[in-house]
Amino acid sequence: MAVLEVEGLKKNYGQLQALKGISFKVDQGEIFGLIGPNGAGKTTTLRIIATLLTPSAGRVTFLGFDLKKNPEKFREKISYLPEEAGAYRNMRGQDYLEFMAKFYASNQEEIKEYVSRGQQISDLGVRLKDKVGTYSKGMTRKLLLGRALMTKPALAILDEPTSGLDVINSLEVRETIKSFVKEGISVLLSSHNMLEVEFLSDRVALIDRGQILDAGTPQELKEKYQAPNLEIVFKSSVRSGL
Amino acid sequence: MKNFGHLLVKEIKELVNKQLIISLAMMILIFSFIGNVTKKEIKKAVAKQKIAVLDLDQSELSRNLIGTLNMANFIIEEQGGEKEEVIQKLRQSDLGLLVVVPPGFSQEVANFKPVEVETYSYLRGISISGTRTSEVVKTLLNTTNDFLSNQYLKKRLPDINPAEIKSPIKNREFIIVKDRMAEGSSAAVIGTLYTQSYLLPIILMMIIMYSSQMVITAIAMEKQNKTLETLLTVPISRQAIAMAKMLAAGLIGLLSAAIYLYGFQMAFSFPTDELSSVTGGLAPILKQLGLTIDTQGYVLFGLSLFLAILCALSIATVLGVLAEDYRTAQSLNIPLVFLILVPYFISLFADINTMSLPAKILVLAIPFSHPFFAMQNMMFGHMGMFWLGLVYNFIFVTVMLIWTARIFATDRVLTMKLKWGKKKVVL
Repeated sequence: MAVLEVEGLKKNYGQLQALKGISFKVDQGEIFGLIGPNGAGKTTTLRIIATLLTPSAGRVTFLGFDLKKNPEKFREKISYLPEEAGAYRNMRGQDYLEFMAKFYASNQEEIKEYVSRGQQISDLGVRLKDKVGTYSKGMTRKLLLGRALMTKPALAILDEPTSGLDVINSLEVRETIKSFVKEGISVLLSSHNMLEVEFLSDRVALIDRGQILDAGTPQELKEKYQAPNLEIVFKSSVRSGL
Repeated sequence: MKNFGHLLVKEIKELVNKQLIISLAMMILIFSFIGNVTKKEIKKAVAKQKIAVLDLDQSELSRNLIGTLNMANFIIEEQGGEKEEVIQKLRQSDLGLLVVVPPGFSQEVANFKPVEVETYSYLRGISISGTRTSEVVKTLLNTTNDFLSNQYLKKRLPDINPAEIKSPIKNREFIIVKDRMAEGSSAAVIGTLYTQSYLLPIILMMIIMYSSQMVITAIAMEKQNKTLETLLTVPISRQAIAMAKMLAAGLIGLLSAAIYLYGFQMAFSFPTDELSSVTGGLAPILKQLGLTIDTQGYVLFGLSLFLAILCALSIATVLGVLAEDYRTAQSLNIPLVFLILVPYFISLFADINTMSLPAKILVLAIPFSHPFFAMQNMMFGHMGMFWLGLVYNFIFVTVMLIWTARIFATDRVLTMKLKWGKKKVVL
């Protein structure tokens, strides 16, 4: 069952056509990856679904709700991790999780539950008692991932989730995302690291210059383009002019 | 509503940071220090002061003059010897004034010839007490002159009142405000009104400046710290986000202004008994002229101020959206500060009603101008101007709030930027 459906999505910035009518679906409990180079339209797509930008044309529905008519329903059930996100520097890590949890929780117990899950996912231990301003980039990213996943959203939108992380931290984050999906949550992620997307995603869409070139499971695409990995798949799909 | 309250608390906590607390505490300390020093100087000026007197005449009249000085709040330290020696000697002492009664003083007075009483002021710094001493002595000499001249006139013209010769023209002063009239000194009335209202423009300026700066900074910091995108995707309306920022800035601005005002009053308040003696006699005149503000007037003034603050906050919110970081926010705040300073200075040094029409329109087009002139308009019966200002600000605020809400509800909150290089606003 599809939780998210995107049909003919277009976005113009003045004369510039950032999205030229893209369509895809994300099923429940699925990790769907958008891969493409910088400027392909990945972040614009994610920002529209996260209700940050309004589409110029097309239709986005999430759990049956239309984005244009019910953006607040999207905000209740989705969680968005921007590529270059930060947290409030004067807050302690733990307070930041609590602050964000309060927007989604309906009672104190739920707040505690969310914060506890956020602590677990971020895996920052005692450093959660320190102010965010003292964190390294990697620690902030882990805190933000904890914030994005702690409320168990119906759809987590992760833009370059391992951006700025070292190898070890990147591996840990990928494992966290994988295990999280086992609980029935859907993930829409973007990355220009195609190997990362190949490892994480159940299905991927290749996006370039505001258009989806092809979509399918990593295995299907590799077979179709007779390529050893998604990087070669992407290169071949661009060459074939799809 | 729950989420709004939650966000408001966060916004207030973000604004009440260490820097703000330290700067406010420092301000209180500085004002308190200035206040203590000023009050000590005033006390010194009011207290009995020591002056030196060199009587080179040693007559009954000169002794009377010294006696009068003694009764007039001075402690007299009589000197003896040559004038030059005494002048030289006092340079080493802490005495601030020397009065020299010349030889032949009483003889010259008896012959109706002008006499010179010399005063030597020793300036050892600039202080209130230093200036006051010579002023009091001058007043005293004037009084003595008056007394002596009255005596001469009585001797020569015993049937005529000396005061009638010296001041043949009497003046009865009347003040008219619109359709009301009262007898009294216009200078005293204006002076009292000015004294009573000198703090008002300062408070207004501070509240508006603080609030606008805080809201610009709050939004710019969200952008600089990359927290705005996340905040915009949480389940709370965009309008509520903008309102929470404005309300928090307004509240902290109000608090900061109150603290500044408290400090300011501590430093520059006049002794209450002196002030009440000045205003007490004029109170019936002010009431008769309708130059007092009743409860309804204060409510209307509060409304005018509230609308002006909302104007400032809504403009500042849009400027905050244009700013990409803290530094840009500070630059964008400068034109707003100038707009606030224009009515501030005009309210202190000029009369809006006597300005040329284009200048008047320009000043009144600034929404912050109206509360600066609201009290004056109400007191002098320019209610048309007052209501016009209120309606203008209401329309201004409504348009700005709708615009702000629309900016926050659309992509513009993320895409609107001021491009300095190209000198244009990208919407």
